[in-house]
Amino acid sequence: MKQAFLLGNGAMALGLLEAGCQMLTSYPGTPSSEILPETVRFAKAADLNTVIEWSVNEKVAFDNAFAAAISGKRAACCMKMVGLNVAADSFMSAAYIGNIGGLVVISCDDPGPHSSQTEQDSRFMARIAKVPVLDPASPQEARAMIKTAFEISEEFQVPVMVRPAIRICHARQNISYEQLKSNYTPAVFKREPTRWASTPKFRFFQHKALNEKHLKIAEKFNTLVPYNRHTIKPEQTFALGIVVGGVPSAVVSDLCAEFNRTDIPLLKLGAPYPFPEELASQFMDACDRVLVIEETDTVIEYMLRDRHKTWGRLTGHVPMEGELVPEKIESILNQALIESSLPPLSDTDSTKAGFALAGSLDLPIRKPTLCPGCPHRASFYAIRKAVPKAIYPSDIGCYTLGSNLGGVDTVLDMGAGITLASGFWHAFHQDGEDKPIVATMGDSTFFHSGTTGLINAVYNDARFVLVILDNGITAMTGMQPAITQGALVDGRKGNAIALETIVKGCGVDYIQVVDPYDIDHTIAEIKKAHEWALSPEGGIAVVISRHPCVIGLRDQALPEIFEVEITEECDDCGLCHLRFECPAMVRNPDKKMTEINPVLCSGCGVCLNICPKNAVQTVS
Amino acid sequence: MKTCNFVLSGLGGQGILFMTKILAQTALNKGYNILGAETHGMAQRGGSVVSHLKIGDAGSSLIRAGAGDFLISMDEAETYRYLPWVRPGGMVFANASAHKFPDDRVKPYLAEYKITAFAMEAGKTALEMGAPRSTNLAMVAFFAAFGQGPLDADALRQTVASVSPDPVKQVNLKIFDVCHEQGKNCAERSAHGIV
Repeated sequence: MKQAFLLGNGAMALGLLEAGCQMLTSYPGTPSSEILPETVRFAKAADLNTVIEWSVNEKVAFDNAFAAAISGKRAACCMKMVGLNVAADSFMSAAYIGNIGGLVVISCDDPGPHSSQTEQDSRFMARIAKVPVLDPASPQEARAMIKTAFEISEEFQVPVMVRPAIRICHARQNISYEQLKSNYTPAVFKREPTRWASTPKFRFFQHKALNEKHLKIAEKFNTLVPYNRHTIKPEQTFALGIVVGGVPSAVVSDLCAEFNRTDIPLLKLGAPYPFPEELASQFMDACDRVLVIEETDTVIEYMLRDRHKTWGRLTGHVPMEGELVPEKIESILNQALIESSLPPLSDTDSTKAGFALAGSLDLPIRKPTLCPGCPHRASFYAIRKAVPKAIYPSDIGCYTLGSNLGGVDTVLDMGAGITLASGFWHAFHQDGEDKPIVATMGDSTFFHSGTTGLINAVYNDARFVLVILDNGITAMTGMQPAITQGALVDGRKGNAIALETIVKGCGVDYIQVVDPYDIDHTIAEIKKAHEWALSPEGGIAVVISRHPCVIGLRDQALPEIFEVEITEECDDCGLCHLRFECPAMVRNPDKKMTEINPVLCSGCGVCLNICPKNAVQTVS
Repeated sequence: MKTCNFVLSGLGGQGILFMTKILAQTALNKGYNILGAETHGMAQRGGSVVSHLKIGDAGSSLIRAGAGDFLISMDEAETYRYLPWVRPGGMVFANASAHKFPDDRVKPYLAEYKITAFAMEAGKTALEMGAPRSTNLAMVAFFAAFGQGPLDADALRQTVASVSPDPVKQVNLKIFDVCHEQGKNCAERSAHGIV
């Protein structure tokens, strides 16, 4: 027996291998990113030959896993919830077609949101796709549910979703486990075109079969202990019952235990869809009112039949947005208990006073920033200098933080830096205006969903500059290897693909490569690219701004360290800490000038070229 | 058993996760179950970082506001930001100047809820000893000197020794000892009512 202090994502990695998963695919995204590398770590330690890959995007990841599953192997793919949007086309279709070996989709939700563009609830996606879904309450339960998910997936030949929220993924728990064993099943593909390549006529029958499966799975979910259960004994009745799912079910249980409230009955729905009608009805019948506490949306609340008895988001008892943190759940419970003429759990006045105090102190607002020495800072600075009055469409990655430098005007989704740029171009061009546009996109995002937009922009004759920010790594999500470098997740060598080749292949003729640390040259090249793009013979101009990530590839990023100081020439204009926005450059209000914070300074030396007074100098 | 709840706060890059690891590993070595919540992703980039750790049997990872036994903070402002998480009667340990801490505006609140707050310039000490990045374990040593909670100083020091990479192991242990000593002085003065 071994013991480890694992992230929930590590616990799920264990669960995948314990269940005999033979192929795992993913595209990184908070809060899912650590599942895949943790699986690599466990698989290596146990000498398993599991196929594990970072795929180019989530749809690609899903399709690869699907192929393994219809070849009879257990396979899984994992992603953040907005990644499932990218894979949605495959996901919906796969439920109709079904699988042979178990197929598990882990879609990690981010209520808050902490690191995402929406708070969407993956359980709704499961419902649209008619895919059964399990919703874990703790890392340990997530691990166990993965095994259950594979079993259900194989029994009913349908993909199954496990939906952990961020508090599962990034919780850390001590977990015991046995030596992992190989669970090898050879691939067999039986040709069956009416199933694997079915036409709309057969899709009707597949849909019908899927609906029939759902009745049976719902039946199973009525008694799927311990994931689905309630605490009410026959003949008991209650003024108020609580229906919980996922992370809130652990919070509510902990609260009831802490305040010794054995008088509050709970219905836990860790497997909420297909909906276990009978189990829910037993609970509803025994309670005058039920309060639904679930994340992030109203999946269970919509499925409970008796509207008049149900309290939740639709009745204003639970907030419609934001994470259900424990103090919020405490106050929701207190309110519902008081409304039901029951004693509340607690008196929360001290908490209110504490928040009021912290709110009154004018604490610094700390927005996320690009790291000191980040090459993206130099790129955005150069873009703003080169084409100051442009629209700057961008999208998702570390470079979203270019907004702090005024270099990011729009963030819609992955790949939208390019597609919004072409949309803006045509919208203004229609009015006879040649709008300056400089789009930005990271290297990983470009591979993920940049190429289709770029081909479209070239084909439809849009005109703008695209700056591809190539830092040789997928940084924001935790330094996953980049396609341009060719290293695979398990350390083996794959095949590197050069950005220049792809960009050229998309039909772009104007390609320049710059090092953003050379600020003056970068400004000049972006200016040139912009002029060319708008010239009569112009088109899409691509500037690849290439410099390694200062965190993930530190040695390559900083071959020379510059120790810098601020001289007396500093006139406190603030450009360095406000517009260049380097966290290592701090205003000293007493001296009325900038100072360098030596602990934060990376020594990149880029600031030597940005001060209008030339007050940044190397220490002599 | 009731869990012992640690809230650890600071800024991105100050090693909050490493500090969590030291406490968690020590608890694990003592046979406790542990459950914690961490900050990753965009929230980590330069912003305010907080980590929760429950020692004992718990089902949910986040510590409820008003339920933290100890707040250990790497930054003065981040101490105040997470003050609402400290329970009445709880304790606060901050990387700040003992002469200026706590802020006058905070003192009535601390008094009303019987929260005791201590500060040490852990960052300054670690910098002077040549390892500014070890401020996190300096704060662990400071906390350990007060003999509160289920994790004793010897066990914490042992974990620091086992998890520190070789090149910094000796300096880390030295920082631990120096800060533990400073903490003991601070704890003694407070026991005698000298603040």
